[in-house]
Amino acid sequence: MRKIRILLADDHKLMRSGLRLLVEQQPDLTVVGEANDGREAVSLAKTLKPDVVVMDIGMPNLNGIEAALQMTQTNPQISVVMLSMHSDESYVLRALKAGAKGYLLKDSAESDLIKAVHAVAESKSFFSPAVSKVLLDDYVRKLKRSGAEDAYDLLTPREREILQLVAEGKSNKDVANLLNLSVYTVETHRSNIMEKLNLRGIPELILFAVRRGIIS
Amino acid sequence: MPLDPPKNAAAHLPRTARDDDRESERHAKQLRRLLVISFGWLLALLIGAGLDALLSLRHLDRSAQEVGRRFTARNRALGTIVVSVRVYDDQIERFLLQDQLQASGPDPSDVANKIAAVRFALLSFPVDGDSDEQVLLASMRQQLQEEENSCAVVLAWHADLRRQRAYQFIGQELIPWRTRIYELSSQISSLNEQKHAVENLAVATRFQMLESRLIWLVSLALIAGVLMSLICGWYILRLERQARQRYQALALSRLELEGLSARLVEAQEEERRSISRELHDEVGQSLGALLVEVGQLSKLVPPDDRVTQAQITHIKSVAETAVKSIRDIALLLRPPMLDDLGLIPALEWQAREISRRSEMEVEVHSEKVSEDLGDETKVTVYRLVQEALNNAATHAAAKNAKVTVVQGSDRITIEITDDGHGFDPKRQRGMGILGMEERVRRLGGTFTIESAPGKGATVKAELPLHQADPPLNHP
Repeated sequence: MRKIRILLADDHKLMRSGLRLLVEQQPDLTVVGEANDGREAVSLAKTLKPDVVVMDIGMPNLNGIEAALQMTQTNPQISVVMLSMHSDESYVLRALKAGAKGYLLKDSAESDLIKAVHAVAESKSFFSPAVSKVLLDDYVRKLKRSGAEDAYDLLTPREREILQLVAEGKSNKDVANLLNLSVYTVETHRSNIMEKLNLRGIPELILFAVRRGIIS
Repeated sequence: MPLDPPKNAAAHLPRTARDDDRESERHAKQLRRLLVISFGWLLALLIGAGLDALLSLRHLDRSAQEVGRRFTARNRALGTIVVSVRVYDDQIERFLLQDQLQASGPDPSDVANKIAAVRFALLSFPVDGDSDEQVLLASMRQQLQEEENSCAVVLAWHADLRRQRAYQFIGQELIPWRTRIYELSSQISSLNEQKHAVENLAVATRFQMLESRLIWLVSLALIAGVLMSLICGWYILRLERQARQRYQALALSRLELEGLSARLVEAQEEERRSISRELHDEVGQSLGALLVEVGQLSKLVPPDDRVTQAQITHIKSVAETAVKSIRDIALLLRPPMLDDLGLIPALEWQAREISRRSEMEVEVHSEKVSEDLGDETKVTVYRLVQEALNNAATHAAAKNAKVTVVQGSDRITIEITDDGHGFDPKRQRGMGILGMEERVRRLGGTFTIESAPGKGATVKAELPLHQADPPLNHP
């Protein structure tokens, strides 16, 4: 069986060695390289072509978000797991926009890293449970104070189904095949979902799904 | 330490100013006393001279009038005497010559009346203590007495006697008497004139004396006035110079103070950044790594070793708490969002952070805000919003706040409004507001606060955008 090849990027050696220790206990995972900052991570990703990059957001020279953006633009096959201290939606959204598939809080890295690596290696999303909790709390609080309706309630069951599949990273064609629908119908559903939830783009859709606990 | 030299400078400035103040105050007090005394003297001099001149003039005027009046009265009395003598003379002649002229003469009692009139006129002459005049008047009275005696005799004459002796009487007694009376009266008149001239001279002399005294006093007052004007002028010039110097010193110290507070803000920001970096990078990362290691450890320990597992769990929770507090402190000091995400996401983060902690909901609205604003501009906007939202949430108990950031071609405007209970910006100006103002002014921007009790608050700032904003520093 082919091992999942991992690149670790963190400006702290202690953190890197901790992560490496975790990863190498798994028989199907291997660390192929370590980068000390964003720039190094980008060039190593180019030469080593890892399957998964586990990368800290706060790094000198080039921060993790910018580095992820450059990596996924040059090589869409790379799955990035963002390591972050922050569960705030500004960060999550930026990470998603930069093409990251996983978002892991550093304090839960020890328990969730392996799950996250496996998930993104299969092109699925992964978010630390604490992140979706914070996102949901913020959302609910805002709804409560503004007295607005939860837009999710406006969705039909079919739309909810499609929302989940899209958020999980499936293409329109995949969704159409799975649900026995035409690609055109899926597209219509998708734009209805975006309109009802007032979302712009897939990253916001994923964020919404994470917030609602539809995906994790 | 960047704080030390400014502190000394700040302590140094007011001390010398206070010393200067005390010394100039003493000088001013002395000078004021001198001026008050001098002006008092000048005023007393002027009032004295004026009063003196007024009284003397009034007195002189009265004397001159008196002199004229006496002169006129004497002249008139003398005239009366001469006229009455003339009338009597005429009457007595007509009485004596009535027979020769075959005309009816006057009644003897009439003639007696006329001579009595002469006596009356003589008695009416205003007498003063002059001895020459007394002598002349006495001899006139003597003459009159003699004439009265002769007259009494003559009036008793019958017609024959009158016819025989009229001419003789007239020629030998009446005419010489009359002439003597006239002579005497002309002597009195000339004496009177002489006296009048002397009195006039006295008045003139007194007037001259008054004149010279006035001239002297006025010149004295003039000299004193000129002297005092000179002193006052000099004093005013000195005050002006002092005021100018004081103003310059003030302007200078304000400039220094501005520079100082700008440096202070800068130093504070730098300090916060470095502490934040240290905390986050060193302590935070070490703790994070520690957590990972502890996780590893718990896997190495057999699950049925409850005591060790519990110990490890405890270590983990302590480390987690430490990570959390370190992160909170680091975020507060220098949010890495500014560097990681850019201004607007950082503001949105802050808004949510405040909403999580307080009862206030914050909405962030932005227009055309560029992602590569200068570091100083970003930090300033960030701190401004932070401070304003903090004030709104903690002091004003606001329920809603709105942050609006709009970027124009050469400036960026920030507006933070809340619906809290407001305050009077003219009277309440805490350190927080001063800090905001200082940060904005440091970048050459404008800063205003609109608020009134019960009406919420609006903080507005406008920052110019410079091409030369320092590049973003990663912590």
